[in-house]
Amino acid sequence: MSSDVILVIVVGTALAFDFTNGFHDTANVVATSISTGAARPSVAIGFASLLNFAGAFISISVAATVAKDVVDAEVITPTIVFAGLIGAIAWNLITWWFGLPSSSSHALIGGVVGSAVAAAGFDVILAEGLVGKVLIPAVVAPIVALIVAALAIGISYRVVGKQRPGIVTRGYRWGQILSGGLLALAHGTNDAQKTMGVITLALIANGTLGPEADPPTWVIVASATAIALGTYSGGWRIIKTTGTRIIKMDAAQGFSAQGAGAAVILASTHFGFPLSTTHVINGGVMGAGAGKRLSAVRWGVAGNIVVAWLLTLPAAALIGALTYGFTRIFGTGVLGPVLVTLMALSLIAAAFARRAQRGSPVPAAGG
Amino acid sequence: MIATIVQGKDLWQTVVASVVAGVGVTFAFSLAIWGFGQFIELSRNERPAAAAVAAGAGILAIAAVAAAVVIGIIVMTHK
Repeated sequence: MSSDVILVIVVGTALAFDFTNGFHDTANVVATSISTGAARPSVAIGFASLLNFAGAFISISVAATVAKDVVDAEVITPTIVFAGLIGAIAWNLITWWFGLPSSSSHALIGGVVGSAVAAAGFDVILAEGLVGKVLIPAVVAPIVALIVAALAIGISYRVVGKQRPGIVTRGYRWGQILSGGLLALAHGTNDAQKTMGVITLALIANGTLGPEADPPTWVIVASATAIALGTYSGGWRIIKTTGTRIIKMDAAQGFSAQGAGAAVILASTHFGFPLSTTHVINGGVMGAGAGKRLSAVRWGVAGNIVVAWLLTLPAAALIGALTYGFTRIFGTGVLGPVLVTLMALSLIAAAFARRAQRGSPVPAAGG
Repeated sequence: MIATIVQGKDLWQTVVASVVAGVGVTFAFSLAIWGFGQFIELSRNERPAAAAVAAGAGILAIAAVAAAVVIGIIVMTHK
């Protein structure tokens, strides 16, 4: 009975994380379309939400990686998954507060690894999966996106260079509806699957599913819905950082950045790599800027983003480990997770209230 | 051991697929813009045959973009 209550809390927390993931990450997906004038913010966000939802249904490879290849599922308990999720949500909210596009995915994996290590020691880590499927792709993917975007923008300027600027801009703006849509689809398929993977891990840990089970349909539908609602709800601070502070883009650069990001994320998802969509799209944006002119990229802002990326895994792991330690003060029952949930909800409510008091930091219609 | 951990084949295929799809689709789409731009320009200059060829190139390029997207999604859903 007690473990079932914890499982319900874990599923609720995982869906809340998924919501914050959409809230936090998908701003990156629509930022380029908005900043180049290809779409109005409300249209871009609505479109991205729908495609996030659809994207969640096209693959389960990443969910399988998160559920089975990062930590030893036989040692995991629902409380460990819960503590990991709290670590990820807390780090997401901290970076959201400061307007930094860090990685929700790495926060999630860092949180789960941190709480699992706190509970069962370093032997719980499946090094092959963590290094081969998470850490190395985490480094390679943004670099590939950067190179692809730089090559793509070079080729596109060469092909359309002698055309009238009006036709070119209109053409790429239309193209950004496609590339932005693909990027939102890619984001939905990679990021929603991480939540599916974590819920599946908790279900396996609870004995509700067998060790080799795939995510049940209700998990897929719930994860798709949560990320789509999160996407629809916010992310303006981070839109500003990605869309205008790294580089000032034209429509061709936006198309190249989004196309590169979508290609990298979809290809990686196919092989089950749980990437940071934030890293990849920022890599694409930097590549599209650098491909035109190296000095077009505001490398100082890009450097701040890199620092946030580097901090994410250890910071989320630390918060996850501390959360697990806190829950254990109250034993292995339901009291610890309930107290942490109440504390987390209070902190989130206070943060949003304070943000609302200050007013929206970025004008909604500003693009 | 390191080779096992690095998942080299999958990672390499990811890189190749990303480069081919990302650069290829952008190239095809740029070709479409070029084709339609040329079509408008040549039509204004009253060169209908050349304009038709440019429009045809643009349409083919758009078809290539659409095919790439559809194939990509089919591959994704069939693992």
